[in-house]
Amino acid sequence: MKSFLSGLAAFLLCGVGLTACTTPSAGPPAVRIRWAQDPQTLEPLTATSSQAVEVINLRHCSLLAGDYEHGRFAPWLAESLPVISRRNSFTLLTYTLRREATWDNGQPVLARDVAFTLKVMNCPRLPTEYSRTQYGVILDIELDAANPRRFTLVCKGSSQNVIIASGDYLILSEHSLDPEAALRAVPLPLLRADTAAALRRYPSLLNLANRYRSIPPEKQPGCGPYQLTAWAKNQYLRLQRKPNWWGSKLNKPPRWLQAQAEVLDYRIIPDNATALLALRRGDIDLYPEPPAQDFNRLRHSADSTKLLFSVANSYDVTMVGFNTQRPALKDPLTRRALSMLFDIPGLISATQPGLAYRSVGLINPHDKPAYNDSLPLLVFAPQRALALLSQAGWQQHPDKTWWRNKIQLVLNIIYKAGAADHEAIATQLRTTARQLGVLIKLRPQESTLLRRQMQSGNMDMYVHTLNGTPYAYNFFSIMHSRGIGMINYPRFQNAESDHLIEAITAEPNPLRQASLLRRFQVLLQQESPVAVLYFARHRLIASRRLGTVQAISARPGYDATQLQLASARQ
Amino acid sequence: MRPPPQQTTSFGWQQWLAVTWLGLLLLAAVGAGLLPEQYLAPDLLHTSAPPLTPNHGLGTDPLGQDVGMVLLFGARVALCVSLPAALLAAALGTLLGLLAGYWGNQRLQLPACYWLSGFLAAACYVLVTVPSHGLVVWWWPLALGAVAILVGRFLSCITGLRKPIAFPADWLLLTLITLLAALPRLLLVLTVAAASEPTFWGLVVLLTLTTWPQSARLVRAEVQRVRQLPYLEAATAAGLPPWRIVRHHLLPNVWGPIATTIPLSMAALIALETTLSFLGVGLPPEIPSWGRLLAFSRVAPDAWWLLALPGLCLLATTLSLRQLLPVNKQRSTI
Repeated sequence: MKSFLSGLAAFLLCGVGLTACTTPSAGPPAVRIRWAQDPQTLEPLTATSSQAVEVINLRHCSLLAGDYEHGRFAPWLAESLPVISRRNSFTLLTYTLRREATWDNGQPVLARDVAFTLKVMNCPRLPTEYSRTQYGVILDIELDAANPRRFTLVCKGSSQNVIIASGDYLILSEHSLDPEAALRAVPLPLLRADTAAALRRYPSLLNLANRYRSIPPEKQPGCGPYQLTAWAKNQYLRLQRKPNWWGSKLNKPPRWLQAQAEVLDYRIIPDNATALLALRRGDIDLYPEPPAQDFNRLRHSADSTKLLFSVANSYDVTMVGFNTQRPALKDPLTRRALSMLFDIPGLISATQPGLAYRSVGLINPHDKPAYNDSLPLLVFAPQRALALLSQAGWQQHPDKTWWRNKIQLVLNIIYKAGAADHEAIATQLRTTARQLGVLIKLRPQESTLLRRQMQSGNMDMYVHTLNGTPYAYNFFSIMHSRGIGMINYPRFQNAESDHLIEAITAEPNPLRQASLLRRFQVLLQQESPVAVLYFARHRLIASRRLGTVQAISARPGYDATQLQLASARQ
Repeated sequence: MRPPPQQTTSFGWQQWLAVTWLGLLLLAAVGAGLLPEQYLAPDLLHTSAPPLTPNHGLGTDPLGQDVGMVLLFGARVALCVSLPAALLAAALGTLLGLLAGYWGNQRLQLPACYWLSGFLAAACYVLVTVPSHGLVVWWWPLALGAVAILVGRFLSCITGLRKPIAFPADWLLLTLITLLAALPRLLLVLTVAAASEPTFWGLVVLLTLTTWPQSARLVRAEVQRVRQLPYLEAATAAGLPPWRIVRHHLLPNVWGPIATTIPLSMAALIALETTLSFLGVGLPPEIPSWGRLLAFSRVAPDAWWLLALPGLCLLATTLSLRQLLPVNKQRSTI
């Protein structure tokens, strides 16, 4: 009996201990959002996943913020939009930072922080390839000796893209990442032009790069509204609103300087069915981008009384890209032939019923001035594809296979494993191509591996959803030859296209820019480095616990700073 | 006195049912081989359609593929993967079991010169990378083996290297079996399958390499039992060559246990292949399988037919294969 009682006591103690371990810590009520995958890294220079970008934008601020309601950029850290002036062929953009803007430790955000950020974005021994391409228009920065919050950026070009690029990078804190101010002495033009020479003249750059790498990105201080309080990889990520968030001190702060929710709790649930169950059980409050079938089914079910639904046009375009450097896909005729094997209306009705629309290219059809509506939409025409293949020099053997210069037309297509819509596209293509004698192998890949393979060009074709923005057109990363090895996954290299992309980026006149964009669409349709299938609509399902939620056109399809529990509104 | 149990081959209704199902399965597998792949073309207007939809009697999956056709082609894949893998595993297990059971640790002896050349060849295989071909290229180990034999012959001229050294076949086999048994089979197969590009024959080889220990253990035990019997000692004393003893006296004895394991192995392999395909690491996605159909039930949780129909096929096949085991009925005289 004695041993039984002691055993029972030990059991109860264990039970209490375990319960104590698993009980979530009490705190302010959180807005719980579903994520399909972990951000993996929060490194500002290299993060590309939408989850990582979302967290980075909540922890840090840029000079300008996207105003998705009006499709333009608005001042964020800056007091106002930059004052534009000219010096020779250069554009000067003068910014003044808000005097309320502070870092976590209360120190003000100053112009020297902006200068430090630009230098980090060009610092040798750091992964700066993307930022060099994206923000290469910023040539130099001149600080105002009289006002520590004022500075002037010297830029090449004068288009809207240049203004956006001048303020669309998050600002890093100099005092915490470079306390010895080693970068102050290094001129930005030297870093941009010749990193080897910069390293020779300023060996301390190596120490700075090492120091930057040694600080985990999640520990870097930011001047945004939220701080990271917990992150269990592949489980959850929690952001807490800063108690002394400087934006709250503003009189009538604009939407992008507000932070409504006290706690944002991101729950990583890879499986869609599990996420749907979690929403129904009330374990999450917001389910962004559910599969179209689930969204439609739920919208017409009894659950609609407990849930909120919202849809918005997006700039997310789903496409199939061709590796233009592969011998079989080098000529545009073969690529155009393969583009004719997609049954796009069928694919939309099968995977995105009522939640996607077609386009002739990478420009959203809702952007009327820039969209080239004189171009025909891609048609599903296998017989015309056969003719094009013959025209491209391919010959069909008696066993129905296609050969050219002793190369058989056998291709592989990679896509994200588990993405049902991408799998449907690949399967439909494979089946149609098979009937014509073109062999296509399906290769689903895990998302990190997929990105790596697309960057290295280790594929023939890929299915991809490109996340665009409503603010400007910048095709440097995705279609310019300088983007090969980064986001130019088709490895597309064409002198005329490069020239057009540069002209689009540099063109200040909206009408002339629209004309260039139309020409660019014609060129893309002729060259067919990608087959654009459809633009999908953003969709959200939210629990009534959230009051109102509005889907937006910009990624990630909702504005996290505007999410708020209904109870907190009252 | 109680009579010894009698063996009978008479079938009960369960066995007839099992044979009928397996016959249908075989028919489906052969039939699917004759059908054009066109039957698997997705019907994009009817995705996740329930059974009894026009033209899709058993419904469709979320890609719009006809479930009936996927089941038919899946039956072919289940048989084409599990049958060769089970037969190959049984053959490999028999070979290794015979080697270990008959020769043991002492009876197979090789001159030291061959040990030395074999060791050098193995070291060469591990350390030297074949230029631009990789170590798995088929001719590389063969070439090394041939060189090892030649070098062994050359070294046999040295008197000191002619001394025979026993090859511990039994110890090696048991160690290998213990190593494989120490790792959960599903985990092992999953790891290898996830790390390599999925191919049909790759999967067959992988399943073979993880299934042979069962047969090997049985054969080894049976051979060790038979080896002690007087007729085998007489055969050895009569000077019959080992291969003849193995072929005429050992193999007929081990055939019974091996024949018993093949249907069981097939059932286990079908279940394993289905699991791998369910997890998306088995066969390439263009090859239809029951496991992939089951996996679609995660994409469309309301589509019960994606869970029920392949599940039923899997259950019926596994149970039927188990019914194929030799029927031992003990007739009581009481």
